[in-house]
Amino acid sequence: MKDFVKKLFQASDLQHEIMPAVISSRIRLARNLSDSKFVKYACRGDLRAVADRCEKALLSYPSLKNSDVINMSDLQEYERMALVERHLCSQEFIVDTNEARLLLADDRLISVMINEEDHLRAQVFQSDLNFRGMFDKINGIDDHLSKNLDIAFDAKYGFLTSCPTNVGTGMRASVMLHLPALVITKQMNNLILAVQKLGFVVRGLFGEGSEAQGNLFQISNQQTLGLSEVDILSRLTQIIKSIIDYEMNAREIVKKERMVWLCDFMGRALGILRGCYLMTSEDAINGISLMMLASDLGYLPNALRNDLAQILMKIQSSHIQVLANKLLSDSERDIKRAEIVRDFFATVPNLRFH
Amino acid sequence: MDKCQFCGKPATVHMTQIVNNKTTVVRMCNECATKHGLFSKEELPFAMLSSLGEALFAGIRQNLSTQGLICSKCGCTPMSFKETGRLGCPNCYRDLKLLIDGIVDSSQKGAFHKGKKPKSQTTVEVEKILEKEGLSDSPANGNTSRRRRKNSPRSKLEELGENLSNAIKNERYEEAAKLRDEIRKLKKSEGEES
Repeated sequence: MKDFVKKLFQASDLQHEIMPAVISSRIRLARNLSDSKFVKYACRGDLRAVADRCEKALLSYPSLKNSDVINMSDLQEYERMALVERHLCSQEFIVDTNEARLLLADDRLISVMINEEDHLRAQVFQSDLNFRGMFDKINGIDDHLSKNLDIAFDAKYGFLTSCPTNVGTGMRASVMLHLPALVITKQMNNLILAVQKLGFVVRGLFGEGSEAQGNLFQISNQQTLGLSEVDILSRLTQIIKSIIDYEMNAREIVKKERMVWLCDFMGRALGILRGCYLMTSEDAINGISLMMLASDLGYLPNALRNDLAQILMKIQSSHIQVLANKLLSDSERDIKRAEIVRDFFATVPNLRFH
Repeated sequence: MDKCQFCGKPATVHMTQIVNNKTTVVRMCNECATKHGLFSKEELPFAMLSSLGEALFAGIRQNLSTQGLICSKCGCTPMSFKETGRLGCPNCYRDLKLLIDGIVDSSQKGAFHKGKKPKSQTTVEVEKILEKEGLSDSPANGNTSRRRRKNSPRSKLEELGENLSNAIKNERYEEAAKLRDEIRKLKKSEGEES
């Protein structure tokens, strides 16, 4: 296993305070150099020059000086995919790896994609809803970059991006929510429409175009122009807080009105997780999602919630291949995944419904 | 032989139109072509449109408005933007403004940036404001020596100026506006005194 991957697996297992329904939040800023062509139109030489300048500027920021900078073309495809599974880079970033470099801060909570569709896409992660703290962090990096690089900016359009839909703040803030009760009570479609009307988007686990698995949804801002960063973040926080309220209400309703069904549903799921020898990632994610709900509701020890979030990461296809250090076929992965899941859930106590 | 699409007579005129990468072929006889204004120079592009449908018309209109736009720095055109979905360079925002405004209008709710500015940009702006308010430390400003002669109100001014500069740097604009007004008031009262 490459050193950085080893480090990645050790350091980024988020140990955090448990906040029901919130898995993680993220802020991303898109920036470009004013004197260079955007990535899609630039030649390899231009891209290398841009990458060198950006890398130098980033590494001169005190809290990033111990970061790893990874040349994406040096990695195996499954290693790149594992970075996507950790949300450290985007799916588009691993398609064209021409002079694409990824900077990973040593705490693995900040990553910067160099030469994705914009020259710079810096993101910061956290496991709760503290947007203020996260924005301060990324804003510090952004200020440092704009002092050291000539960033493309226009008084009317704001920060200029390769796609005009990101122009303005260039900021995308998103929160990953775990909403099993809203799925069980079939409220998600209504919620998605309501959120859309407010100018925000609901997506699946891996952003644009991805399906919702394991009752996990990403909610993010669509509008980037005409609102300040603080406005966007406070609106998103309000929306997230009310979604969490809806989810908590729905959990109470399910407990009250469909308790036997819920016990049966969770009990069977735990049975499968303990007894499986072949398991697809979709089945694993859905099963683990139910166990997370059980832990939130107190049917499993609350302390398990962090371990469950970690196992959710480990059962993803590319993570399994990175751990095995080789490319595996679908069925080989299903066998390995079942092994991981079986071993973990063998240590989990039985569900206790009060 | 092909038949005229309008009257069924043998077609003598074949017109191919390419709009938004869609090719439409219209075949007609001489009479119908004249009737639809194909041979009249003034009406040439539009005479056909009623029969080609409103959708096509909208496409042409949109294309005409952005036709001929090209970025002078990278050569990006509305067509290349349509193909890739991405612009070529920061200068495209200036040279393809018409195209950008259309996209921004349909994808964003606001038309003007209200968020933060690059730090370098803010610093330049702070200097401008300080200069305008006569608080710049630059020798060119000429009032530095005068400022240091008088003790109390001048030092108060200096302090306010420093606070103003910090407020703008940290994007506390409401506070900055208050400080600016306070500075103006102080300067005015000082002017009256002397």
